Amino acid sequence: MSSEFITLFMFATMMLLLLTGQRVFGVIGFVGTAAALWLWGEGSFEMPFNASFQVLNWYPLITVPFFVFMGYMMSESGIASNLYRMFHVWFGSINGGLALGTIGLMVLISCMNGLSVAGMAIGATIALPELLRRGYNKVMVTGVVQAGSSLGILIPPSVVLVLYAMIARQPVLQLWIAGVLPGLMMATIFAVYIYVRCRLNPELGPALSEEELAEITWGEKISLLREGLMPLAIFGLMMGMFLTGVTSLVESSAVGALLTVIGAVIERKLSWKVMEASLRNTLSVTCMFLWLILAALCFSAVYDGLGAVKAIENLLVSSWNFDPWTILIIMLISFIVMGAFLDDTAMLVIVAPLYIPLVIKLGFNPIWFGVLYTVTCQIAYITPPFGYNLFLMRAMAPPEITLIDIYRSIVPFFFLMVISLIILIIFPQITLWLPELYAGR
Amino acid sequence: MPKPIKIFVRYVDAVNYAVGRFAMYLFFVIGGVLIYATLSRVVAGVPVNWAIELSQFVLSAYYLLGGAYSMQLNGHVRMDLIYASSSPQKRALTDAITILFVIFYLVVLFMGGLSATNYAIVYGQKNYSSWAPLLWPIKVIMTFGIFLMLLQTISTFFKDIAAARGTPIE
Repeated sequence: MSSEFITLFMFATMMLLLLTGQRVFGVIGFVGTAAALWLWGEGSFEMPFNASFQVLNWYPLITVPFFVFMGYMMSESGIASNLYRMFHVWFGSINGGLALGTIGLMVLISCMNGLSVAGMAIGATIALPELLRRGYNKVMVTGVVQAGSSLGILIPPSVVLVLYAMIARQPVLQLWIAGVLPGLMMATIFAVYIYVRCRLNPELGPALSEEELAEITWGEKISLLREGLMPLAIFGLMMGMFLTGVTSLVESSAVGALLTVIGAVIERKLSWKVMEASLRNTLSVTCMFLWLILAALCFSAVYDGLGAVKAIENLLVSSWNFDPWTILIIMLISFIVMGAFLDDTAMLVIVAPLYIPLVIKLGFNPIWFGVLYTVTCQIAYITPPFGYNLFLMRAMAPPEITLIDIYRSIVPFFFLMVISLIILIIFPQITLWLPELYAGR
Repeated sequence: MPKPIKIFVRYVDAVNYAVGRFAMYLFFVIGGVLIYATLSRVVAGVPVNWAIELSQFVLSAYYLLGGAYSMQLNGHVRMDLIYASSSPQKRALTDAITILFVIFYLVVLFMGGLSATNYAIVYGQKNYSSWAPLLWPIKVIMTFGIFLMLLQTISTFFKDIAAARGTPIE
């Protein structure tokens, strides 16, 4: 039996089992384990456990609980709702202003959040009810929250880029800096889209009424702005210490979490209830994430043993004779298609080791590819049938938002993200300018 | 459901809840180790060579011991396109069948853990680093965490069967 057939068979079995709705980590782990036992017999029964030692040795994974915790602390302590109020008073006077404010809020949350879960929690529980109450178009704002929170994996700190860095053996710092401008660019594209749509059709996002605007004092505006600076200050301190080499990556994440707790104490928002909820959510998300990686490592070890890396390279380069750009685009499209069905963390662990050696061999910049990969992940987050943000949205959205609304809401943002991806492919400078500036200092 | 199964489910859930709550606080241990290492190096000028390794060990304990509790919290993602739109009873039925795959994976994972732990104890295996700690304690904890996850999955299996038959436990 050829290794191509086995690989294909494994993927097909996995997809089929995933469709049954069983927990993703269990399905992936089962297919990997069963394939190993089938191919190499009983002697390979230690293989699934050995993957746990690879998790152990990937020390940057220590950052995961901290970057997840920071996001939940913002959400549970209510600091995020004050931030939202800040955007409210500053942008409320224009049509669609609150939706624009939601994008702004998501960018701020992304500065403290390594995954998109906390952003989604904040968006669905704080921003959405307020937006709906004010008569915003529910399809548009559902999309805004999903697309906005996906920025959490592109704007540093990003856990997805940490994982990519480990697999591609690239410096995390360079990847994080590389994510900054593309992240801000995407936020701007979303904002322009919202502004133009609400400009053309003000009913989509009604502005605050005159009376309400009159109630907002300059004193409140200024004090809210001061509170809004806190996440930026925490981000600045944490990244500053990391950039100047005072703390390592892992230490920075712990320092960031500590600063967030201190910030909550200063704002008088820390209670045992807040702490307990943050810790519980952090445990739940971290376990989900690390068990997935554990299972995916077992899966990828199988076709690593089969030599699938060489097989793919032969197929694309020698057999089909594609030029580098075609191969790059095929890879990205396959990420988007696979990401629609597969969890993106599992996808990274499973597919990236196949692609990255080839990307480097073809002469592409692996930092740039990491950012392109992350954007495809963001697309995967919102594309059905499987997307993190879709999954979370279904669980957290207010009842008046139906499944159909959720699916319809992502259509424009899907295209905006694809456009962003194309811009980033055509202009690598957007991604690489900051890392090169930093490296050449 | 027969009484022994009900008792099994109740005890497994209770034990895993307690262990999971304990694991939840390991977050502070990892954080404390890292903050201590940072302060020690930056303020006192004394680098600590065991901080990263120790936090890796604690992280492993954190996610393996906390795994079963996170399952109770329903924290593990599913591809729920079809799943979400079917009735609770139908969902429980599919789950009761497909969870056998998860049990199979966890059994093999657990056997691998036992064998690796045994090796580490017999040969006094040490980590290849400047601190060079013994590896068996962490392997025991990891294998124990996998065992608890296995028990939780079996407990979930029973609960799924009960729910599919229309007589949910609890």
